[in-house]
Amino acid sequence: MSAVLQNLVNQPYKHGFVTEIESDVAPKGLNEDIIRLISTKKNEPAWLLDFRLKAYQQWLKMEEPAWPNVKYPQIDFQAISYYAAPKPKKKLNSMDEVDPELLRTFEKLGVPMHERAALAGVAVDVIFDSVSVATTYKQKLAEVGIIFCSISEAVHAYPELVKQYLGTVVPVGDNYYAALNSAVFTDGTFCFIPKGVKCPMDLSTYFRINTEGSGQFERTLIVAEEGSSVSYLEGCTAPRFDTNQLHAAVVELIALDNADIKYSTVQNWYAGDEKGVGGIYNFVTKRGLAKGVNSRISWTQVETGSAITWKYPSCILQGESSVGEFYSVAVTNNYQQADTGTKMIHIGKNTRSTIVSKGISAGHSNNSYRGLVRIAPTASGARNYSQCDSMLIGDQCGAHTFPYIQVRNQNAKVEHEASTSKIGEDQLFYFAQRGIGNEEAVSMIINGFCKDVFQQLPMEFAVEATKLLGFKLEGSVG
Amino acid sequence: MIHQDSKTILEVSGLQAAVDGVEILKGVDLIVKSGEVHAIMGTNGSGKSTFAKVLAGHSAYQVTGGSVLFEGQNLFDLEPEERARAGVFLAFQYPIEIPGVSNSHFLRLAYNTLQSQRGKDELDPLEFEDFVREKMKLLEMNPNFLDRGVNEGFSGGEKKRNEILQMALLEPRLAILDETDSGLDIDALRIVTNGVNKLANKDNAIILVTHYQRMLNYIEPDYVHVMRGGRIVKTGGKELALDLETRGYDWLGVERRAPASA
Amino acid sequence: MSMSLVNSNTYLESLLQGQPRLPASPLAWFNQLRANAVDHAGRLKLPTTRDEEWRFTDLSPLARQSFQPARAAAAQQAADVEHFSVAEAAIRLVFVDGKYMPQLSTPAERLGNRGLIVTNLSSAITANAEAIEPHLGQYARFEDNLFAALNTAFLHDGALVIVPRGAAIDTPVHVLLIATQPEVASHPRCLFIAEAGSEVTILEDYVSLNEAVYVTNAVTEIAVGDNARISHIRVQRDSTEAFHIGNCAVSLAHASRYRSVSVALGARISRYDLNTGLDAEDAECVIDGLALINGRQLADTHSSIDHAKPNCTSRQLHKCIADGSAHAVFNGKIMVRAGAQNTDSAQSSRNLLLNAKARIDTKPQLEIFANDVKCAHGATVGQLDSEELFYLKSRGLSGVTARNLLTYAFGAEIIDRIPIASLKYRLEQTVLEQIKKN
Repeated sequence: MSAVLQNLVNQPYKHGFVTEIESDVAPKGLNEDIIRLISTKKNEPAWLLDFRLKAYQQWLKMEEPAWPNVKYPQIDFQAISYYAAPKPKKKLNSMDEVDPELLRTFEKLGVPMHERAALAGVAVDVIFDSVSVATTYKQKLAEVGIIFCSISEAVHAYPELVKQYLGTVVPVGDNYYAALNSAVFTDGTFCFIPKGVKCPMDLSTYFRINTEGSGQFERTLIVAEEGSSVSYLEGCTAPRFDTNQLHAAVVELIALDNADIKYSTVQNWYAGDEKGVGGIYNFVTKRGLAKGVNSRISWTQVETGSAITWKYPSCILQGESSVGEFYSVAVTNNYQQADTGTKMIHIGKNTRSTIVSKGISAGHSNNSYRGLVRIAPTASGARNYSQCDSMLIGDQCGAHTFPYIQVRNQNAKVEHEASTSKIGEDQLFYFAQRGIGNEEAVSMIINGFCKDVFQQLPMEFAVEATKLLGFKLEGSVG
Repeated sequence: MIHQDSKTILEVSGLQAAVDGVEILKGVDLIVKSGEVHAIMGTNGSGKSTFAKVLAGHSAYQVTGGSVLFEGQNLFDLEPEERARAGVFLAFQYPIEIPGVSNSHFLRLAYNTLQSQRGKDELDPLEFEDFVREKMKLLEMNPNFLDRGVNEGFSGGEKKRNEILQMALLEPRLAILDETDSGLDIDALRIVTNGVNKLANKDNAIILVTHYQRMLNYIEPDYVHVMRGGRIVKTGGKELALDLETRGYDWLGVERRAPASA
Repeated sequence: MSMSLVNSNTYLESLLQGQPRLPASPLAWFNQLRANAVDHAGRLKLPTTRDEEWRFTDLSPLARQSFQPARAAAAQQAADVEHFSVAEAAIRLVFVDGKYMPQLSTPAERLGNRGLIVTNLSSAITANAEAIEPHLGQYARFEDNLFAALNTAFLHDGALVIVPRGAAIDTPVHVLLIATQPEVASHPRCLFIAEAGSEVTILEDYVSLNEAVYVTNAVTEIAVGDNARISHIRVQRDSTEAFHIGNCAVSLAHASRYRSVSVALGARISRYDLNTGLDAEDAECVIDGLALINGRQLADTHSSIDHAKPNCTSRQLHKCIADGSAHAVFNGKIMVRAGAQNTDSAQSSRNLLLNAKARIDTKPQLEIFANDVKCAHGATVGQLDSEELFYLKSRGLSGVTARNLLTYAFGAEIIDRIPIASLKYRLEQTVLEQIKKN
């Protein structure tokens, strides 16, 4: 796995290249015809087209949310191309048939596919612009009954499963961007862990936006049946363009009785330049339904990229004694804006949730934690503990904490704490006086600050995440 | 201990320094030789803490004149971390708290950085653990200090002990203890000073910066310097400290109208 | 004052209907202030739960009700209000349904405190215009606040306290606002000014003689001068059928100190906005609050502490106890502006739910734009500590007694901070009774 991150952390923004591949791009704009076109291109069943059209109808009636603590010019949804696929020469049967240009791209990105995937011991699905290109390790996973493939493929191969779960956690009209995604999503990952199976390896998806003027709207659906468990990782990059690009993904997780889903993200979309030009608008809806008793949904995210991040990976704790976790490090520098956090909705009895959020702001950036803890009247014995810490580097940035705590049950217990730290001259001088240089001092302080989150990441991810942060903040301290 | 043939470790001549354009040090002269213990005394604002920080290289202070040679080398050519690696150690008056960074990790990194600088072997975490535990006994410290964040939630006394522990690990040529006695109760003062005494030897030197004579009951200075208005205005033996204790600073009467800055 | 300005807001019509035309003041700035407020009141809409700042407080019951201006108050006898008096307070101003009652009041001039002004605003404004103009309407902004706009539009009377430079007033000032009539709206306006180096304790006390439905829309402005100190106690014991909207805005000058304890016990729906501006260096505020509510009461406290300058300190502890199907809301914002280095701020929201139907919404907020700051906040919602209950029971206390004792202790932590002994004692009794009732 470290190869992916090795590349992610390299400087300067290394993923800023564009791959010269003939793309099959849909005309810009959004209307029912475009949606029908996407559906036709993907040879979709009628129920899915209905799903899309229903979402589109709802979207038309909705308004872009104005409450996040972010500012950006009005998005022209008619100026976006909603479908951009590397033009397939024919249907691919093996990795050898993948466009060599594309393979070279992955090599540049350090995506461990093919043999390298086997060596790394990770199963990887790669979403390039909007289309899933290749999924490694499928065979090996199939032996234990795990389905891990692109969602387009799943729609054809496992229509009943997809139909059963798609849109059940994030309904088509859930919010503005989720509705948009539901109308136009082009690909994504489907993952199904059957009863009692502990997934033998980390599953991973790698996302990349390649074409200028295209948006990425992927859809991820993970279902863990009774007693199963899975750890899923995602990484994201995009080329440098001076225009802003929209990424509006939807991720749905469903954990049945005693199932356990761990979802880790290292998000390093292009953040724009030091003047704030360009970069990805990352407007993402991620939600897990802990449906069964004793089920567990755990989100871990390291958010370093994107011009704007608007993202609240959430847990609906419906099953009795189910557990929700959210561990987050969000770093903003230059003119980045992040409004991120989580929602923990406690419905079942004795449900528990933990929130650990670390926000680091540098440059002229603004970093907001926004979190909701809601205890429904039914959630007797529910517990939540939240900790939200902010670190400010320099005096031109902002750190904001907006925790919403709503309690409707007298037998619940909710605790929230927040504090601030800083890296300043005095901290660095103390280290220097012990012979430790600035760079090492910064990395140590940041690592210490983020420790509670990093230890939730798979180990290689954690080591590299530290480096990534060090790189992100280079030059902003001392 | 004063020896005629000792090597000069520190040579300060006419040192002037300012903070935010306000001059605080106005010509400090001082020679420190190996094996010696110097006490620099003075009231608040006399410039003694500024002197300590300037030697360590704090960026808030601008050197505006004079020179400092450390073992013959121009100290101002070195960055703060280079000075530390060369053997200049400052025990801080207010050690910084660094949440999340474990004390053992920090100590080991500092120790190994110096070891590699000196061309010696670095210690792995297990070896270091044994090594540091031994040093901690010197300061009667509880080993669980190692697992806590650097100075995080430490009491004043614990912070000061942690400073001297670092001195024990880093074995500096010149240790500057800035108001290390402040905020210590009598037991802690005894432990800390005892630690310092054990670390003092014929090859290193110590500068004690202090307001009160109390610490000098435990660490016997070879020289006592009185600072006032940014200069050393009087130098004597340990008896000078006792005079100051009984008579205060006013009898010195020098530069009474010095600017009230710093 | 033309009513046509507010025609766009039908719900306001009932609120404003028949408000008497206020006489024009000889002070041009004062007329201008009112005119601006009328203008804004006409443009603003009654907030709904779709407004972030009113998310949990549904005012539609207020909109459904119609309110009249107070009729000439029946002359209250001293005996009717005596049980509200506070022994320590030698200075007292009494307002009945918003109208000043000189016969029930003991203004400052009767005490012979040189230079101290404690009287009703309308009688003193012309004579003290120079002292009042820089403050009145300067802190309680009404551009986005309908209720502050309405209060300012109808600005007529309320308490005025001006403590002269260097004076330390050793008796608390008691501002007693009594509601007596059903279905009336009153808009009391208070202005407290502590000039440089002065010191005063002021009790702002809202009470009612009966369980009537009425609306109190109060605005208080407080200016704490250089190195001055104000201790401000605000007690809201309105009828549990009433609506209470309170806005208080405080501005702190250099090295000044503002100490506030607010207690909300009454009203069907109450909303208190306390905005404290640390507008100069070395200022300090300590802000404590308690809401103790039951039945179908709703108590909403919004506070904002604005660290506009460096080296200021703020402390806040807010507690809510909700029983029955009551609903307590707390929204506390700490703002640290760019350049406000060395800010030291700590905020804590502690909440106790005593009934399955009760609910709590709390939102402690931090917005920080400076890097050398110490800011911490915390919030808890829960029930009584089971270990503590067990401990008390193991010492022979009944479950009910143990529960009452702990609940009482939870609320008493705030009441203990009130610097007026007799009031503290009385509120403690109130809390105890309230708890025992259940």
